[in-house]
Amino acid sequence: MSIEPFNRLVKLAARAFYDDITTKGDNQPKTGRSDNRGIAVVVLDALSRRQWVREEDLAKDLKLHSKQLRRTLRFFEEEKLVTRDHRKETAKGAKIFSAAVAATADGQQHTKEGEEKIKLHTHSYCCLDYAQIYDVVRYRLHRMRKKLKDELEDKNTVQEYVCPNCGKRYNALDALQLISLEDEYFHCESCNGELVAESDKLASQDVGDGDSNARRQRREKLKDMLQNMEVQLKPLMEQINRVKDLPAPEFGTLQAWEARAHAQRRAENGESSAMDPSKSSHGLGYGGTPMPFLGDTKVEVDFGNEGKGNDVKSEADITGQKILPPWMIKQGMNLTKEQRGEVKQEAKMDGTLAAPEYSDDKKSNAEDNDKAFQDEYFKAYYAALIKRQEEEAAKSRQVGMKSKRDLNEGDEGEDNVDWQEAPVAGDANGNYKVNDLNVEADATAEDEDDIDWEES
Amino acid sequence: MFFHIVLERNMQLHPRHFGRNLRENLVAKLMKDVEGTCSGQHGFVVAITGIENIGKGLIRDGTGFVSFPVKYQCVVFRPFKGEILEAVVTMVNKMGFFAEAGPVQIFVSNHLIPDDMEFQSGDMPNYTTSDGSVKIQKDSEVRLKIIGTRVDATEIFCIGTIKDDFLGVINDPASV
Repeated sequence: MSIEPFNRLVKLAARAFYDDITTKGDNQPKTGRSDNRGIAVVVLDALSRRQWVREEDLAKDLKLHSKQLRRTLRFFEEEKLVTRDHRKETAKGAKIFSAAVAATADGQQHTKEGEEKIKLHTHSYCCLDYAQIYDVVRYRLHRMRKKLKDELEDKNTVQEYVCPNCGKRYNALDALQLISLEDEYFHCESCNGELVAESDKLASQDVGDGDSNARRQRREKLKDMLQNMEVQLKPLMEQINRVKDLPAPEFGTLQAWEARAHAQRRAENGESSAMDPSKSSHGLGYGGTPMPFLGDTKVEVDFGNEGKGNDVKSEADITGQKILPPWMIKQGMNLTKEQRGEVKQEAKMDGTLAAPEYSDDKKSNAEDNDKAFQDEYFKAYYAALIKRQEEEAAKSRQVGMKSKRDLNEGDEGEDNVDWQEAPVAGDANGNYKVNDLNVEADATAEDEDDIDWEES
Repeated sequence: MFFHIVLERNMQLHPRHFGRNLRENLVAKLMKDVEGTCSGQHGFVVAITGIENIGKGLIRDGTGFVSFPVKYQCVVFRPFKGEILEAVVTMVNKMGFFAEAGPVQIFVSNHLIPDDMEFQSGDMPNYTTSDGSVKIQKDSEVRLKIIGTRVDATEIFCIGTIKDDFLGVINDPASV
């Protein structure tokens, strides 16, 4: 975004159109001293060297009275060359701007600390609107040329008529109402005076009496004017053409510009803690709408977050409570700048050191758990086994008591077989804890199975 | 420029027209009322070409008149700035001349008449070139360009120019 061609355009336009603009009212007598022609050019030139500027500062720089400057700027605002912004702000808010200025104008440090007044002052800021200036100048040139050409060719001009008696004005569109029945002239509606065609404003000395000679003279004059215009404004037109395809420098609104200036400075200086208070008061400093630069402030917030993230990480490393998974650390590495690389590496090392520990722990824990589980299982199993054996013993006892009924009912042959076998296995029972006298063959048979289990 | 458009109008019909040919009466009255009128928005209504539909009549309290909303197709003529028209000169004076293109009145001021044409007063005021080959007088036909229109609610007035290529007299009344 080169600003130089546009500045040249501004300077040319200033000299072409605003050279003899005086901002004094017409009622004031024009003495040599109060003649302030040329101020407009000076102000525009000064603005072309700045971006957004507080009008007070500009007045101070130009050694102008702020009122005079303001009048000039208001004129330019009406001419659409300059955008202005007014806002109520505290001294703090003004400091924000100063900081922004410092960020753009390198070396030129505005350090206006001090009076922290809560009182709000309305400050005005102004800035050249290059895109609009381009359009305005182009339109102006177009209008000038069109006016002259139309006059020259008498094309598309609505003839105006004026009543010499009462000064009432008509144009050709009123012609139907103006024709009188008596003669061939137009007559005034109110005083019935004979209307005369109004002469062109550009060639005022030939009163438009329709004389062909006068007309010819006027044509000559218009042609001269058109030629002069083409010659004198040639540099300006060339500059317009040069600028045509360039993107106009855009500073945005005052807030956006400030926010951007802040961001830029932060990017240059890295993280400066000095800016933090102003940043925190950013939203509070001025009562305007904070919405447009929300995105920009977000960027600043991101810086803060990153820093905080570091802190958190380092804390986690120190305490060792939170062990970051490796993927997270990687991501952090990508985001950080060079200066934070060491911290990151440390963090990574810590993390990698911690991670194996964790995994080992986990593994051993898992193994332990497995062991414990198995032990637990074995214990429970043995307990259950013993219990069952006891139960079986009890059951067999019961069975033994009910042996009669069992026999009567004629249970499964196996049972009977067991019964028969019982005395055989009866001796074996003595080996077991269950020293019940009524141990039955059934139980012993099962016990044998159990023993097999145990052995396995 | 001519347009063929659909317009709507509420027609008040006297009770004496009620009967078999109510519709014919209604259309006849519509034509009488509308044709030749001028509205600023649409221009001059040249002719009604058809009836789109006739809505339900509403009897007015007290009078017995019935109002019908009628939609009708019509041809309108609306002059525009920059349009080229052919017109008949109606009056010539020192200030210029007036011409008519159908219903539209057009004034051409003497500034917008080519510089080589001079006003000649007399019995038959006219603008004549120095060699007398071209003459603009009453009943001449001219081709002109509209450079301005004044559109009122019920009236359209134009100013025109003949100071351009291919504009000016398109027939010679003297030879007719």
